[in-house]
Amino acid sequence: MTRVLDVADVHKYFGGVRAVQGVSLKVQEGQVVGLIGPNGSGKTTLLNLIAGVEKPTKGAISWDGQRIDRWPAHRIVGQGIAKTHQIPKPFLTMTCRENVAVAMMFGNHAQRESSKALEEAAHMLALVGLGRKADVMSSKLTVQERKRLEFARVLGTGARIVLLDEIFAGLSPEELRDAMNLFERVQKEIGFGALVVEHVMRAVLTLSEHVIVIEEGMKIAEGSPRAVVEDPAVIEAYLGTEAVHAAP
Amino acid sequence: MRLRGIRSFGPTLWGIALFLVVLAGTAPWIPVFLLTVLIQLLIFSTLAYSLNLITGLTGYVSFGHVVFMAFGAYALAFAVGTFHLHPVAGVALGALVGLALALGIGGVTLRFRGVYFAIATLVVAVAASYIVLEIKELGDGQGIILNIGFEPLSWFYTIWVILAIEVILTYWITHGRIGYGVRSIKSDEDAAKALGVNAARVKLFLYALSGLFAGGAGGVYAWTASGVFPQAFDLTFSLQMLAMIVIGGMGTLLGPLIGAVAVYIPSYIFLTVLIGFQFIIIGIVVTLIALFVPEGIVGSLRKYIPELRGILE
Repeated sequence: MTRVLDVADVHKYFGGVRAVQGVSLKVQEGQVVGLIGPNGSGKTTLLNLIAGVEKPTKGAISWDGQRIDRWPAHRIVGQGIAKTHQIPKPFLTMTCRENVAVAMMFGNHAQRESSKALEEAAHMLALVGLGRKADVMSSKLTVQERKRLEFARVLGTGARIVLLDEIFAGLSPEELRDAMNLFERVQKEIGFGALVVEHVMRAVLTLSEHVIVIEEGMKIAEGSPRAVVEDPAVIEAYLGTEAVHAAP
Repeated sequence: MRLRGIRSFGPTLWGIALFLVVLAGTAPWIPVFLLTVLIQLLIFSTLAYSLNLITGLTGYVSFGHVVFMAFGAYALAFAVGTFHLHPVAGVALGALVGLALALGIGGVTLRFRGVYFAIATLVVAVAASYIVLEIKELGDGQGIILNIGFEPLSWFYTIWVILAIEVILTYWITHGRIGYGVRSIKSDEDAAKALGVNAARVKLFLYALSGLFAGGAGGVYAWTASGVFPQAFDLTFSLQMLAMIVIGGMGTLLGPLIGAVAVYIPSYIFLTVLIGFQFIIIGIVVTLIALFVPEGIVGSLRKYIPELRGILE
């Protein structure tokens, strides 16, 4: 049976700032959902709430029918939901292989034998195109390679829902195409569900089957990628009121 | 399987084991004066390994580590003085007191990071010393003098056993799954949590172990001194422990031992010949090491001589 991540009417206030105000969404195992919105609309906060980095002020988050919104982050990872960092955070004192092995030893399907985890980590790195960097110190990686390592680590936890925070940002057109192909291939192979926060429209619209748009912490539209980009509320949020009237 | 496990222990652990076994075998024939120096060295080594467990392995700098040693010392003095417990039982009690104290203090202070943790440990240590020195049953601020025998060999073997267990535990913690968890916390705690590492539990576990061994060392310290005095709370003990792991190499298996030798032996000479100069020298050495070779002796050897990486840890 496919499991569902269910975010129900979640709010998050930081003092007087209402970062998230009643967002609901669902992600099924195996389904790719895009989450878009202007800067400061609360996308990253929402991911942090799901991952347990922050606790919601109001509302419920459940996974496979179980409330997880009061759980510490490591426990959520242990149940199969893991998040990448917007700015990659590799363990700089370790090799790439060791970075991924940590995820494998402490994640969802924790491999308790370190030698086996180190072995399997190489496969995971090969999957994201870092196979030749397995025994290179992660401090030697470029920014783009660090993003791939971040992705490999999240997969290494054995996550069934991955929360991806702008993993396609800052790529050249060719790099973007490669990264998108890679994502699609890996997603099909492993079959994880994903909630993809992204500014790069081309990536979200191509990869997601369902897109959610938030603005100022509130959901303003959702639907298929095509329907969402034609929604006047979305055009207004991104381009301003005049653009709506100018549209045919 | 067993055999492979033993062989994979690595030369450093074997080296330390050999050193300790030779010490234990020759102890009865070592002149008493030298033996007492050696016992103090082993006490300081135990303290250095204890601080290494938390500060060396996780990067959480504890300035108040003396508090565990002092409580261990007071626990032994009180138990032996009041209930006429055997000193070895007193040492065990000191270790347990250190463990309990570390669980209590760590449960709160380990929520802080960086300099805030360091300050919190310092404040707790100072506060705890004032509390203990106010308690009538604990010598009313004057300390407790014990009327127990001079038994250097018992002291030696007690601290020897504690240190041996501590070194083996350090090895166990720095290898395999737990070792990776610990290294990931030192490298980036948030990232470690995001990959499923229960950072709070790992840190508290290390801190508790660290309190256990410092408490035991404190017990032996009080036993060798036939009592305990308010000076047991002297913060210079904390600084000496820190100097030892900084000089020897933080988070390494051999570093604390090297550091203990490097700090204690010169200190001992200064203590008897050039009174008061020891801390000036230690301060200068620690500053120079922190500036130019922050990895300490063991870390630097590993860094600059690649051949040693497989041997030295």
